[in-house]
Amino acid sequence: MDAWLEFARGPLFRLSFGVMMLGLLRILLLDLYGAWEAYRRAGDKTLPWGYIIRRTLVWFFPFNKVLKGRPFYSICSILFHIGLILVPVLLFAHIQLWQSGVGISWPALPKPVADWLTISTIVFALALFIGRSFSRMSSFLSRKQDYLWPLLLLLPFVTGYVCANMSVGASTYQVTMLIHILSAELIFVLLPFTKIAHCILLPFSQFVSCVAWRFPADTDDAVCTTLNKKGAPV
Amino acid sequence: MKTNVIIVEERQRAFKSLRTDEISERQKLKVRYHVEDFDVNDRPRRFLEAFAAILKHSNYRVALDHFIRVSAKCSRCATTCHVYQATGNPKDIPCYRSELLLSVYRRHFTMGGMLRSRVAGTGHLTDEKVQKMADSFYDCTACRRCNHECPSGIDHGLITHLGRYILSEIGIAPRALVVSTREQLEGASGNTSAIPVPALIDTLEFLSEDMREEKRVNITFPLDVEGSEFVFFPAVSDFLMEAETLMGIAAVFTATGDSWTTGTGYFDGINYGLFYSDRILERVVKKIDIETRRLKGSKVLIGECGHASRSAKQFLPVYCGGKDAYPVVNIMEYTWDVWKAGRLKLDPNVVTEKVTYHDPCNIARQGWIVDKPRELLKAFCKNYVELSPNGEDAVCCGGGGGTVSIDEIRPYRTMVGGKVKADQIRKSGCKILVAPCANCKKQLKELVEDQKIECEVVGLHDLIYKAIIFDDSLKVSPDEKQTGEEE
Ligand code: HEM
Ligand code: SF4
Ligand code: SF4
Repeated sequence: MDAWLEFARGPLFRLSFGVMMLGLLRILLLDLYGAWEAYRRAGDKTLPWGYIIRRTLVWFFPFNKVLKGRPFYSICSILFHIGLILVPVLLFAHIQLWQSGVGISWPALPKPVADWLTISTIVFALALFIGRSFSRMSSFLSRKQDYLWPLLLLLPFVTGYVCANMSVGASTYQVTMLIHILSAELIFVLLPFTKIAHCILLPFSQFVSCVAWRFPADTDDAVCTTLNKKGAPV
Repeated sequence: MKTNVIIVEERQRAFKSLRTDEISERQKLKVRYHVEDFDVNDRPRRFLEAFAAILKHSNYRVALDHFIRVSAKCSRCATTCHVYQATGNPKDIPCYRSELLLSVYRRHFTMGGMLRSRVAGTGHLTDEKVQKMADSFYDCTACRRCNHECPSGIDHGLITHLGRYILSEIGIAPRALVVSTREQLEGASGNTSAIPVPALIDTLEFLSEDMREEKRVNITFPLDVEGSEFVFFPAVSDFLMEAETLMGIAAVFTATGDSWTTGTGYFDGINYGLFYSDRILERVVKKIDIETRRLKGSKVLIGECGHASRSAKQFLPVYCGGKDAYPVVNIMEYTWDVWKAGRLKLDPNVVTEKVTYHDPCNIARQGWIVDKPRELLKAFCKNYVELSPNGEDAVCCGGGGGTVSIDEIRPYRTMVGGKVKADQIRKSGCKILVAPCANCKKQLKELVEDQKIECEVVGLHDLIYKAIIFDDSLKVSPDEKQTGEEE
């Protein structure tokens, strides 16, 4: 068991973390490269920066939007994300691991706060899952990954909470911890290849849409040539 | 703005197709709008060819790549779409509509999709899917309201726009739009309403005479005056159906004395390319550039028309010279400027009814012109109220995206597309609804008629024409009127 844990904590962690970082970097670069290519070809190179920035910020501070659309869902989603992002990054135990591994550290969340955020993330992940299953609109749109993600994200949070706060036997602890680590690593690996790519791409959505609306000049001719339609009537 | 789902009978009426079974059979296409006969064989393959060609020569790829990665499937967009609000049909959820095209893109144009389907051997584009898109992309009015609600920033208007473009390349496009465009690009008249130049001149002279009688001022429509500051392109249908709007615009120019002209070479602001084909969009935009150049004008002035304004404002720089393209001004911007500068006087005692303002999607959605018409209206209409929501978040009239020109789908437009708008108008209790857009006006007039709302639909300049106060120096005596007529 110890060997498994070591393996999961060591090489497997480095591997999955690397896959995540490189994967995210790849899609970010592809996205920005695509936008740059599009911008280069655009017939009109002025972009409505004010509009882009305003609409992007609206979603970074979504509080003025939450009461429209689907208010309950929005609040769940925001609270879910707060714990989801803060706890893994700012947990004392995680920072200690970074400290002992690579020698860097940063301030941690106080334990009670981390505990409450963990609980809220669990509750709101379940709420999102249930909400999705019972909303006629959402369930019509949902793919497999849309149901699986909240459930998969529950795993490390539940197991982490158990390990940190409950007195369980040594072997139970080890198994739970192994699940904790492995599920987190699975999340790392899947993250760049699924819809969770949004965590890095979202800030560019408005920018990318605006660039896409900036068409290249003189495409009528080019498209006609490619489709063998030159000189064809309207 | 929430609204009730339509009842069964309304649904039946709204979705009833006017096409005969024989035509649907021959064209292998069950849609509500008329389509000219096209090659029905091998549709999926030709669709993909067209898709590939368009991707190669456009900038859509970056958006599609982005959207397939971030879509959260949260269904927020459903709460904003006036179509879904009225039908309650999950197939009308914006995200579902866009997924139709995004899934084709993912399957046929991305590495992952191609590999996955190679393994599974499924998921390729079928004829049914083409049929679904042909239906769905013309249910959407491309109003882009849902874009503001989507946390992932997915622009369904862009997807609908692209979907229609690809469909048009395989021959699926509403006949109403295609026929008008053919006249505009290849016909003798060169405009979508097929108005010959002599008829145009007659109409304008007739209007001038009318105005002289009514206002005792020589209000004219200068034709082909080289070197004018503004070259004017209204929705050409205004010459036939919205004379009052044009009279208001002419009146403003008469009051200010600024130089403007209408070119007899080309005088149509309408650009259906925005609704179904970028290739058409480009060709039509270039006509505006050519005419402005011919007349040595310095600015392009678009009349009260949302899509004409957006297609010129956004695409003149794209197709006609980037930074060096002619600046595009919407008439409301001009009128606001001169009013603000104190060059236009309006009588606050003429319009007493309750007035409200409808924001055309193509003008307001991206925050281009929102406050100016309101300031103008409030300056002379004492009883002004707002629709809610409005401005950038305004609800579509239900005839956007060119659907208003498709007469055979009027029941759909006034029962489904315009349902939310109708409720909104009713709630405001207005007696005059100002819609500064030829498309919105047509749709809203049909809407208030079909939905039995007591309310008059007018353009902004229709009211300005009523309220405008001319300087005494412009007044002509009855004698002068006489000589004017003899000329
Ligand atoms: C900077 C980071 C992030 C931002 C700005 C962000 C934003 C969003 C947004 C806007 C949504 C759409 C749903 C909504 O309206 O709230 C969403 C959904 C979601 N996000 Fe994130 N996110 C971030 C990071 C993450 C991360 C790191 C994960 C997981 C590891 C994650 C997991 C999810 C899940 C599972 C959903 C779907 C919820 C549902 O079932 O509806 N997010 N996120
Ligand atoms: S709001 Fe955006 S992410 Fe959510 S379902 Fe609609 S399109 Fe998809
Ligand atoms: S663009 Fe308008 S009509 Fe089309 S899906 Fe979005 S809200 Fe609905």
